[in-house]
Amino acid sequence: MKRVFVEGGLVLAGLLLILIATIATFGLPVGESLRMLAEGSLSGGGLARTLVKATPLILAGLGMVLAWRAGIYNIGGEGQYLVGALGGAWVARVGVAVPALVLKPLVLIAAFLAGGLFAALAGLLMVKRHVQVVISTILLNFVALQFFNWAVTGPLQEASRRLPQTDRVPDSLMLFRLDRQNDLHTGVFVALASVAVVTVFLFLTPTGFRLRLVGDNPRAARANRIEPGRLQLLAIGLSGGLCGLAAGIEYLGITGQLGYGFSQQIGFLAIPVALLGGLHPIGALFSGLYFGALFAGSENLARFSGFGTTIVFVIQGVAVIGFVGLRALIERRRTPEAAL
Amino acid sequence: MNDVVLEVTGIGKRFGAVQALRDVSAQFRSGEIHAVLGENGAGKTTLMNVLAGFVVPDVGTVTYRGKPLPFGEPIAIRRMGLEMVHQHFMLVPAFSVEENVALAHIPGLLRPLRASRLAEPAVRLAKDMGWEIAPSARTNGLPVGAQQRVEILKALTGKGDVLILDEPTAVLGPDEIDDLFRVLRGLRDQGRAIVLIAHKLSEIMAIADRVTVLRRGEFVGTGVPTPVGNGGLDARTLALWMVGELPEARHDRSVAASEEGLALESILVRGDRGEAAVRDLTLAVRRGTVVGIGGVDGNGQVELAEAVVGVRPLVQGEVRWRGERARAGRPQVAYVPQDRRGDGLALRMSVLENLLVAGHRDSALKRGPFLRLGAAARWARGLVERFQIKIGSISDPVGGLSGGNQQKVIVARELSSEPELLVVVNPTRGLDLRATRYVHDQVRRARNAGASVLLISTDLDEIAELSDETYYLSRGEVRPAALGAAALVGGVP
Repeated sequence: MKRVFVEGGLVLAGLLLILIATIATFGLPVGESLRMLAEGSLSGGGLARTLVKATPLILAGLGMVLAWRAGIYNIGGEGQYLVGALGGAWVARVGVAVPALVLKPLVLIAAFLAGGLFAALAGLLMVKRHVQVVISTILLNFVALQFFNWAVTGPLQEASRRLPQTDRVPDSLMLFRLDRQNDLHTGVFVALASVAVVTVFLFLTPTGFRLRLVGDNPRAARANRIEPGRLQLLAIGLSGGLCGLAAGIEYLGITGQLGYGFSQQIGFLAIPVALLGGLHPIGALFSGLYFGALFAGSENLARFSGFGTTIVFVIQGVAVIGFVGLRALIERRRTPEAAL
Repeated sequence: MNDVVLEVTGIGKRFGAVQALRDVSAQFRSGEIHAVLGENGAGKTTLMNVLAGFVVPDVGTVTYRGKPLPFGEPIAIRRMGLEMVHQHFMLVPAFSVEENVALAHIPGLLRPLRASRLAEPAVRLAKDMGWEIAPSARTNGLPVGAQQRVEILKALTGKGDVLILDEPTAVLGPDEIDDLFRVLRGLRDQGRAIVLIAHKLSEIMAIADRVTVLRRGEFVGTGVPTPVGNGGLDARTLALWMVGELPEARHDRSVAASEEGLALESILVRGDRGEAAVRDLTLAVRRGTVVGIGGVDGNGQVELAEAVVGVRPLVQGEVRWRGERARAGRPQVAYVPQDRRGDGLALRMSVLENLLVAGHRDSALKRGPFLRLGAAARWARGLVERFQIKIGSISDPVGGLSGGNQQKVIVARELSSEPELLVVVNPTRGLDLRATRYVHDQVRRARNAGASVLLISTDLDEIAELSDETYYLSRGEVRPAALGAAALVGGVP
C-alpha cells in the first residue's frame, strides 16, 4: 500500500514537471499559465468542467484497462466509441414514442452493446483466425469512421437533411444537469460507478482473476484448463462496451446529437489514460481526472494564448513515453533473467 | 595429422544452485570424430555453449592450437576456426537457403552483398556431398533434415577446421542419420576435428572414434568405443559411465495398487508444428501407482502430458478414467508442466495469485460470485508453510523467487486438492538436492493417497526412484523398459 502512494506521488511530481516544461517550450510565462490552468480546472466552475471532460476519458480508459489486463492491445477505442454512439442514436430515434425515463437507460445500453459487439469482431478474428488485435482494431477504426459518416448523412441524418448530423434529442432525454452553467451532468456518476464495478470484477471475482491470468501468461492459463479464447473475447467485448458507453454518455450528457466533430479522439486518448493509470481502474480514475483537468484548464488558457488544447496532447504524449519507459526499466530490474 | 587442436582443461560452471560443469577436461584431435556423451542435464550443452562463446566458465581454460579461446566472444571464436551446428537451428525462417548461408559470410557493412554469390561455395559443396538443395527455397518450407543440412553448410563454408555439432541426430530419420554420418566421416578424412554432442549409444558406437562421457556435470572418462565386451569400452560400460550406479527402486507404498485408473488407448497427438508427436500410444496407470516414462527431450513428452490432462486435443484414440471417457472435471487432475516459467506460472503475478490458479475454483474461497480474499490469503499462507516455500510475503511477484521455490509454488498448488490423477514432467529439473527430495516425497504422498501418477522425466535416477513401472518414450512411441541403464539410455539391447 505504501508503495502505491510513493509511486503515485512520483507520477504526480513527474506530470507537474512535464507540464511546466511543456509550457516553457511553448514560450508561455510559466507562472501565469499555471495559474490560468488551475483557474480553468479547479476553481468552482472549473471543477465541474474538469469532471465533465474526465467522464468519457475515465469510461473509455476503464475499457482499455480491461482489455490490456487480458493481454489484448485494443487500439480500436475510437471506432468502438463511434459505433457505440451510433447504437445509442439509433435507439433514441426508433424509440421516440417511449417515455424518456425508460428510453434513457435503453440508449446507454444500446451504446454499450454496439461498442462491445463491434470490438468483439476484432476479438473473434483473433480467437478464431489469429489476427493480431493491434492491426485489426486500428483498421476497424477507419471502418467505423466511414460508417459513422455514412450514418449521419444517411439513415440517421436530421429530418431536414441539410447538415451531416442527427436530429437533436428532446431535452427530456438528456441526462440530468447538476450544474447548468458548466454542463455537469449525472454521467459522472456512471463513470464513478463503473470504476467500482471494474475494480471489483478484476480483483474480487474468479472471472476477473482468470482474465488477469490469461493476460499475464495465456500458456499457464491453458495448462490449468482455463481456455484463454473465451476470456479474451469477453475482455475485448467489455472494453468496447465501455468505450461505447462513454460515447452514449457524451451523447446524452453534452451534445444531444451526432455530427462530424463528435469523436474528440476520446477513444485514442483512453489508451494513455489507462497506461498512465498503471492499467488499474482506480489509476485510470485519477489519470482521467488529470487529463480532464488539463482539457478544462487549457480551454481557459486558450482564450489568451492561442495554443488551445494542443498543449494537452503534447503533455499526454510526453507523459506516456516517459511513464512507459520508466515502467519497462522497473520491470527489467525486478525480474532478472533466471539462471538456466 | 592427429594432433590436438582443441584442448579443454578444468572447466567449471555454476548456474545458481546447479553445478552444470565441474572440472571437465578433454582433448579433441584433428582427423577424428570425438563424441561427448551424457544424459540430459549432464552438461553437454553447457560445454558446447562454452566452446561457442555463449557461456563464460567460472574456472578453467580452453586452447585452440595453443592459443587461449576468448570466452564469451562468439564472433572472435568463429574467426579462430570453430564452427557450430546448434541443436535449435539458427536459421532465419523467411530467408532463402542461400540467404541463410550468406548470413554466415557477410563481408562487412559497406561492401555490396549478393547472397547468391556468397552462397556459391556452399552450393558447390552440397553438390559434392550429394545433397540436393534448392538455393532459392525458403527455409521455413524445408523439412527439418534439410534445414539441418543448411546449418551444416553454413558451418562448413567457414574457415574453421573444428566442427561442433549439438545433438544433430535428434530431429533426423534413420536414413538421414546414415547420410549425416557419411558426410561426417568424409569431413573427418579431410582432417577436420569433429565434436559430436550426443546421447544415443547406438549412434556413438557407429561413428565415434573416441568418446568422452559426462555425468551430472562431471568428467567420467575418455576412451575408444569397442563393439563387444572383453574389457573394452562397449555399450554396456558406456551406459554405466553415463548413469552411474542405478539406485534400487524403492517400494514404500502403503496402499496396494489395484483399481483401474488412467488408460490411454492408441492416442495420436500432434505437436505445435503439426507433426505426429505421440503415435498410437497405449498405456495404463492404475490407482496408487507411479508409471515412469524415460527418454530424451523432444520425443513427445510434453505433447503426451498435455493430451492426458486435456490441454491438447487428441487426433485419434481415447483417454479413459476408470473405464469411462474422461471429461472435464473428472478425474480431479493435477499437472506439473515441464516448463515452469512458460506453462506453470504467471511471473508478474503474486505468489498468492499463482496459488489461486488452483484455489479460485474452490468453493471454500468464494462467497457468491466473489472471491474471499481474506480466506484465500490464509489458505495460501497455509500452503506456503506446509510446502516450505521460502518467500518474504505472499504478495511478492513469483518471478522474483528462485527456481526451486517457483517449482514448489506449482507443486503446492497442484497437490493442494488431493488429485486423483497426477501428471508431472521433469518435476525436479534445475532443483537442488533438498528441493528434489521434497518434490519426490510429495509425489509419493499423492501416490500413497491413491492417485494415478504419470511421471515423465529425462532423469533416470528419478524414474528409478519413484516408479512402479517404467517405459521408454522414443519418437512418440512407448516401449516397456526394464530398469537397466542400457535399455533406458538408448534402446541398446
